Amino acid sequence: MNAAEPNVLVRASHLSVRYGAKAAVDDVSFTIPKGRVVGLLGHNGAGKTTLMKAMVGLTQGEGELSVLGFQPRPQRAQLLEQACYIPDVAILPRWARVEDLILLMSGIHPRFSAERARSLLRRTSVGLRDKVKTLSKGMVVQAHLALVAAIDAKLMILDEPTLGLDVLSRKAFYELLIDEWCDGERSVLISTHQVEEIESLLSDVLMLNEGKLVLSISLEDMERRFVGVSHDAAVAEQIAAAHPLLRYRTGTGPSGNAAIFDGAPPEHVQALGQRMRPSLVDLFVALTRKPELDRTHF
Amino acid sequence: MQTWDDRQPIYQQLASILAAQLLDGEPVEGSAMPSVRALASRYLLNPLTVNRALQTLGDDGLLENRRGMGLYVTAGARERLRVAERNRFLQTEWPRLRERLRRLGISAQQLNWEEH
Repeated sequence: MNAAEPNVLVRASHLSVRYGAKAAVDDVSFTIPKGRVVGLLGHNGAGKTTLMKAMVGLTQGEGELSVLGFQPRPQRAQLLEQACYIPDVAILPRWARVEDLILLMSGIHPRFSAERARSLLRRTSVGLRDKVKTLSKGMVVQAHLALVAAIDAKLMILDEPTLGLDVLSRKAFYELLIDEWCDGERSVLISTHQVEEIESLLSDVLMLNEGKLVLSISLEDMERRFVGVSHDAAVAEQIAAAHPLLRYRTGTGPSGNAAIFDGAPPEHVQALGQRMRPSLVDLFVALTRKPELDRTHF
Repeated sequence: MQTWDDRQPIYQQLASILAAQLLDGEPVEGSAMPSVRALASRYLLNPLTVNRALQTLGDDGLLENRRGMGLYVTAGARERLRVAERNRFLQTEWPRLRERLRRLGISAQQLNWEEH
């Protein structure tokens, strides 16, 4: 870890990753301190997977990138001893039994604890004698998390871990993650489209749009900076005149319409409706929508 | 999954849920609160959010920090909550309810105060 900044696990500064002429990750700068749960949000093709790959040295970037004090590309082997990574295409060998995988991990990973893996697996419905091919998709992902969380590491990187899982499996996955990984010291970076259900888990959010980082903020600061106002249709024009980031219909609220402002709008505008907590998903829509879409369509 | 509305910050919503449970005697006065991690995992919340909710309950005098042992429900927490809830009912809910009873023409005598 960086001696000057013991609390910073990841630091990216003007990081870009290019595939030919196209910048998949375009000049992004951010830090991930310890003890955080960071959501990496973005539409398909926004650069989430590329950024994560760069962080574990699977792809070469330009600019500066330091992960746990290592340069991911040249120091990949050392880095992976101290960071856990589940890629979006992760698979466990279908023919293997879970106990074989524990044996395998014990052999290849110096910081892996077989004892801890077994104790994590006891929290799931996965048995040690089960073969991977007999497990449901949700159980495979839980087994994978248990194996990876048994590594004594400071940082976990999860690329779309709950994609394709039903709601109960997703809940079980997040419970295991919070209860067994998040101890105030270790951090996790987790990418997903399921913004609604992950919001309450996060301490910070990184939002990518077409390779660019459009938001990097803690949830606490987000609630302070962005102001939501729910209002009646009758005052829609006055609200629009105050240049909100986004206007949309809520369907659920008492007044049916809402707007999000970056920074508190003037008093007379706030007085037109009721202040509300801007949800992450609304902000996501506001900051990543395609320019050709009309803002009132949402 | 627990759903959170957008009228209040999530930590305040959790504080309300926990306060309602304290009012029902769960956990009882003098006993330990569940740990931050247990609550975080039960409600699928970031531990920082849980901390803020517990802080709020502590500020209201419902929880106390016993050095090295964590948070405990204070003696008198339920009575404190009951008083606060009673005041809230009388000040905000009752005027609305009274207004509705008047509009419907229901008098106190017509209300059945016994169960069944």
